[in-house]
Amino acid sequence: MMIRRMPWWLAGILMALLVLFTFSTFGANRPFGASTYVPYFAGILFDLSPEKYPYLKEVHFAGAWEGVMLLGALTGGFLTSVFVTKSFRLSIMPTGWKKYKNSSVISRLVWSFVSGFFLIIGARLAGGCTSGHFLSGMAQTAVSSMIFGGVVLLSVIITGKIFYKSEANDV
Amino acid sequence: MMFDRILNMFTTVSNESHGSLFVVFAIGLVFGVIIQYSRVDKFEKIAGFAMLRDTVVPKMLFLAIGLAAVGLYFMVEAGYASYHPKPIILGGLIIGGTIFGVSMAILGKCPGTGPVSIAEGRIDVLVGAIGGIFGGLVFTVYFDFFKKIMGESLGKTTLITYFQGHENLVVLIFGIVLIAVSIVIPLRQEFDEVDLKQLEEI
Repeated sequence: MMIRRMPWWLAGILMALLVLFTFSTFGANRPFGASTYVPYFAGILFDLSPEKYPYLKEVHFAGAWEGVMLLGALTGGFLTSVFVTKSFRLSIMPTGWKKYKNSSVISRLVWSFVSGFFLIIGARLAGGCTSGHFLSGMAQTAVSSMIFGGVVLLSVIITGKIFYKSEANDV
Repeated sequence: MMFDRILNMFTTVSNESHGSLFVVFAIGLVFGVIIQYSRVDKFEKIAGFAMLRDTVVPKMLFLAIGLAAVGLYFMVEAGYASYHPKPIILGGLIIGGTIFGVSMAILGKCPGTGPVSIAEGRIDVLVGAIGGIFGGLVFTVYFDFFKKIMGESLGKTTLITYFQGHENLVVLIFGIVLIAVSIVIPLRQEFDEVDLKQLEEI
């Protein structure tokens, strides 16, 4: 029988190895990151000229690198969800949202759009996200990443307390 | 035009010496497999952590960081890697980190786990990603404004530079503390319907 879930410790060990491989001279010789591809793709989709928008010049290489990496992540996620975890299916409403927020699809989609928008603004302001700051940054003992880590941890938990109900709805 | 720019993405990566196209794609592939297989791309895992109902994400993250910190230090010493820390930009880190945390708790994803979630058919996350593209657009267009919020760089300091002469001891303690934290955090799990069904089969 196939085991359908990887334990957290195995995932942690494998993730550490992946980060180390990405850093290594025989791997990619750079940190692992995952939010720079978003403005890069926005530049492509809206056909913005890097000559006019200096930020696109700044992210020219990192954005492309993470763009290719992202295609790999989509492929890996798709194959695993279809063949290993068997969790692939089209869905709009997370179980947890129904349980701790509400059962309105419109509410979930509006909040998804708005939080997706600000997620990227926040990540770009800070110069990194969970991958770039938490994983890669803290592994380098970077002070910037520890500040980011502390602020994010606090803001995640406060939001969780305010935004969601403490008691579950019956699903 | 768009097609040219997508092709340009591939040539940009092949022309730089940060891994061949295949290596970069493979790094993403392995990332996607780890994230999907450990189920941390689930809303219940990240939003669940925000509600303190699920601790798989912090347990996994702290363990990964602790191990990577020790491994990376010795790889740098051996000449197989180098550090690339990000600059301390206080405005950007504090304001950006706050906005990022609020959004992550509501979306239940971060920029790395989101795409993996879309790959398993989550339409709400796709809508979030479209929001993200607009966020990226606004940031790019109004970069001058955002730059003012971010503030000046106070340098790319790392913890070990404060402990000249004791670097390997400090990094070892740092790593062990993080690994210990990952073990000490009590394991709490929140499942979604699909996962519960799969659990019954095991």
